[in-house]
Amino acid sequence: MQFAVNILVLASIYALIASGYVLIYRVSRVLNLAHGELMMFGAYLLVTTAAGLSSSPVVAILLALAMSLMVGGLVYLFLMRRMTGEMALAAVLTTVALGILLRGLILMFWSASPQHPRDTLGWENPVLMLPGDARISLFAALLVASTILVYAGLFAFLRFSRWGMRMRAAGQNPLLAAQRGINLHAVFALAWALSTFTGAIAGMLIALDSGLDSTMVMIGLKAFPAALVGGLDSLLGALIGALIIAAAEVGVIKYVDPLLADVIPFAVLVVMLVIRPWGLFGTREELDRV
Amino acid sequence: MTAEPLLVVEKLEVVYQRAITAIQGVSLKVYPNQIVALLGTNGAGKTTTLRAISGFLGLDDARVTEGTVTYRGIHLENREPYEVTRHGLSLVPERDKVFPNLTVAENLAVVPGRRGRSNRRMLEQVYHFFPGLKDLRRREAGLLSGGERQMLAVAAGLMCDPEMLLIDELSLGLSPVAVQSLTASLVAIRNELKISILLVEQSAVVALEIADMGYVLENGRVVLDGDAQRLLNHSDVQEFYLGHTGGDRRSYRDVKQYRRNRRWYG
Ligand SMILES: Nc1ncnc2c1ncn2[C@@H]1O[C@H](COP(=O)(O)OP(=O)(O)O)[C@@H](O)[C@H]1O
Ligand SMILES: [Mg+2]
Repeated sequence: MQFAVNILVLASIYALIASGYVLIYRVSRVLNLAHGELMMFGAYLLVTTAAGLSSSPVVAILLALAMSLMVGGLVYLFLMRRMTGEMALAAVLTTVALGILLRGLILMFWSASPQHPRDTLGWENPVLMLPGDARISLFAALLVASTILVYAGLFAFLRFSRWGMRMRAAGQNPLLAAQRGINLHAVFALAWALSTFTGAIAGMLIALDSGLDSTMVMIGLKAFPAALVGGLDSLLGALIGALIIAAAEVGVIKYVDPLLADVIPFAVLVVMLVIRPWGLFGTREELDRV
Repeated sequence: MTAEPLLVVEKLEVVYQRAITAIQGVSLKVYPNQIVALLGTNGAGKTTTLRAISGFLGLDDARVTEGTVTYRGIHLENREPYEVTRHGLSLVPERDKVFPNLTVAENLAVVPGRRGRSNRRMLEQVYHFFPGLKDLRRREAGLLSGGERQMLAVAAGLMCDPEMLLIDELSLGLSPVAVQSLTASLVAIRNELKISILLVEQSAVVALEIADMGYVLENGRVVLDGDAQRLLNHSDVQEFYLGHTGGDRRSYRDVKQYRRNRRWYG
């Protein structure tokens, strides 16, 4: 039972982060390799707002979330906007540079030492007992719940809201979307904002659960195979990809060797790329665009 | 014509990939409430002309290098497509004219409003001109027939609340029945909404039947223009776009003769 809970928690983390990769890729065909850093940046924003507003924790969290939404939008407007309608490769390289820049900024402002925003906010992280003698920490349970909420929200948003439809339309054919009067910059900025927002939720909850330092970026990197295994342009795929990767990782930790944990997501990815390079749920023709 | 023209294209030159000149010195005018046909064979530069008016994206690697596009006195060269659409010019492209994975209703719903008119009101208008779309509204656009797809494309263009529709290849690949119904819709749209239509066609019969004016493009230049009736009766148009040959089959020599004639026009 504990085994299943461990898989569920890890899968939630990967899925929550992977949704950000999928959002941006699906809407603008750009692989955002700075997503791990943006997620970590969101967590560090919470470190700062928590220090400033330790007496009102909820405000601190909401403020950090609002800031991460803005950071995502600003990254698009000031950096990625120039890449719109250009070759995808230039855009991907720009995100690599952005990631390096963010890592430097984080070291400069918050140092490399571990941070514990939950202590700053004066919150406990009690262990909850589940049926079957399994345990889960409060913030890990919140992580699972957030992932479910975020995915339900994203599905509904993309399916039913006008801006969600525009995001799907722009993803299919940006030129036609523009010709129909849709401001591509607004759509892409929204995708970046939402992606950074969901990433930051993951980063903040992980930090609240177990603290953070600059190695958090590794988690972001490990979520990337989850998005790719699922097919990069499919949210459902990201969800299932996250489950597969998490199951493989937790299984190997338990039955083989915990030291292999960080390698497993990429091993699964390599196997996947050999068998079915366009991912479980991806569209085949997407391949040549990456 | 006493009214001011709505759209004035003057000496337009478009270069692809910084090297390939696709059209050169193209000039045309569209007056309010007019249907204007833009004719020409494959590769003449019709699509390029429409795209230059409606705007290129970076990935097109195309630029207007000379000349002007003025709409109601506003310069539109090298603007982004969404800006041009919001000025009231909406394009129905030649290929990829609908979002295949979106339903018919979604294809219409993604279009932002203009002039403060609600999406619902525009939708009513669109269903008035294309009642057939209402029954198809839950269908994915990728599953539509050619005629239905063209109907949806024109309808989505109308959702942009335009004062001028730019339609690229209305009849290409469609059955005569579908073409008949579409041209009838276009005439109704022009008459009821008082908008203008710049209609690109390879089939001169289809276009000149409903057009007031026409331009003939060849090798990126305008070689003939005039009112639709005059063009229909013009001997060159009769021979090369309508296939009326007075009985003889056209031989290659005749084509060369025609080319020589062209030069005197140019
Ligand atoms: N994307 C492009 N890159 C380079 N050349 C192009 C491109 N699109 C069109 N052309 C060239 O421009 C000329 C006009 O093409 P086009 O405007 O598509 O003609 P039409 O629509 O009348 O068939 C052709 O010679 C064509 O080869
Ligand atoms: Mg064409």
